[in-house]
Amino acid sequence: MKVVRVCSMGLSFTLAMAANSVANSAAGAAPDLSGTYWAISYSPKIQVVGGGEPPLNAAGKAAYENIQAGLKDGSIVDKARRVCVPDGVPRVLATPYPFEIFQVPAGQVTFLYEMNHQVRVIVMDKPMPSPESLIVDPKYNGHSVGHWDGDTLVVETAGFNDRTFLDASGLPHGDDMRTVERIRKVGNQLEDIITIHDPDMYAKDWQARFVYDERNDVRIEDYACNDTHRDLSGVAGVRGH
Amino acid sequence: MTKVVLRLRWLAGAIVLGALCGPTALAVRAAEAPGTGAPPNLDLSAPGVAWAGFIAPKEPNYAIARLFNDFASPATGLGPVTDGPAHPYANNEVAREMRIPPTYRVADLDNAAGKNLLPWVREALMRQNELVLRGRNGESREARCWETGVPAFHLNPGLMHIIQTPREVVLFLTGRTRHIWLNVPHSANPKPSWYGESVGRYDGDTLVVDTIGFNDRSFVDSYRTPHTDKLHVVERFRLIDGGNTLEVAFTVEDPGAFYQPWSGTRNRHRVMNPNNRPGEFDCATANDDYFNIGLEPVPTAGKSEF
Repeated sequence: MKVVRVCSMGLSFTLAMAANSVANSAAGAAPDLSGTYWAISYSPKIQVVGGGEPPLNAAGKAAYENIQAGLKDGSIVDKARRVCVPDGVPRVLATPYPFEIFQVPAGQVTFLYEMNHQVRVIVMDKPMPSPESLIVDPKYNGHSVGHWDGDTLVVETAGFNDRTFLDASGLPHGDDMRTVERIRKVGNQLEDIITIHDPDMYAKDWQARFVYDERNDVRIEDYACNDTHRDLSGVAGVRGH
Repeated sequence: MTKVVLRLRWLAGAIVLGALCGPTALAVRAAEAPGTGAPPNLDLSAPGVAWAGFIAPKEPNYAIARLFNDFASPATGLGPVTDGPAHPYANNEVAREMRIPPTYRVADLDNAAGKNLLPWVREALMRQNELVLRGRNGESREARCWETGVPAFHLNPGLMHIIQTPREVVLFLTGRTRHIWLNVPHSANPKPSWYGESVGRYDGDTLVVDTIGFNDRSFVDSYRTPHTDKLHVVERFRLIDGGNTLEVAFTVEDPGAFYQPWSGTRNRHRVMNPNNRPGEFDCATANDDYFNIGLEPVPTAGKSEF
């Protein structure tokens, strides 16, 4: 059942991306998002656009309660923080550490996060892998393909594993989750509006918005799991500040 | 066991990919390098290009297999710590090709490289050798998910991806990244870090990288040779073999650890595949000390910083 549903979504997705690719090649030079960015605020709980709580369905509510109880009593470990496995999307978007965007080489946009030196490559010159590939090769950050819509980088992501939370509070997701991000420069800031599509856990699609300052004065630094890292006092909402 | 299987699968893929890389690809490459700031003959980051630390030979070849995950010694002068005749090292690739059991590394402390070690370094390696000979703690720092430092960064036999911009060169190698800041001086007081502060410049068709500002927590090799925060490494990246081989020749000096500077090289081979991109890496999962042989714990954070 799940395979059929993923295949169906994958087919329509592939067709859509093929059309986008053609449109993109005729559009001329891509906008330049390259540079270093740093969030000005952090929230352990993802903030829903329009306010309120994420629209968990019954299965999602049960999973969330189970995860939160497990995190509290230690039966569930937040491995992204404990042993620094990748955060997954959208949790990585909330990072209070800086990150860098590269638009070379051609055909990919690369996000390099200081936190746990996570790498996210947005594939710009190929369609989403086949539904079968996504099932056999799930990733923490999923598989991402992108195209330009005017000044906006549109990123579609699917093929997630089931080892991540959507935020630091333990918000759950299913492995059929798909996300669409619209990323653009607004003045000296970068905005990423992400739409979560996950009928396994949520009653309807919902959105979150992340904003980062452009900080080309900052160098991405080394990050090792057990170290003390850079001063985060400039990021509102970080514990202790 | 899983890691070994995966590694062998990767090697098979690397052979195929290597065969795809030919003169045509190189001819196209010379006209491309938009936005890299790199000289045309040092474009290391063309789409689909990655640099493999090892490609298995068609026939078993000990001399090649031996460099699967080790530095090559220089033609003359002091080189890196190596194994010795008393305890020949058989890495997984040597073991596979020669059909012999793999071993862990035991450093030769009596050859020229061994005699170049300051007493505290020599003693550290003697203790490590004793552990290994008792079947304990033989894996490299990298295999235990720790940051590797420099030059040990280069030892991984997997695919290195490179991004070149006018501001920096970024090296991606199985979940580890290094930044080389171009055409800038060193900071007055670099914050000590695993990979130090690397500054680079193009000298003709060679990228010259100077790195200081290391912490003293990494090893310079997989024998677990320690160093101090006085470590200074100069690397020279250039293309040889018609552009099919990336040579990284380096010199290590550390008056706190070695009597004299020493040198080594690590070659990587061009592989071309449109799907070659840097990827996410999860080292910590499925990396427990299953056989209870005193392996170093993987890095584990205490209280979260945020």
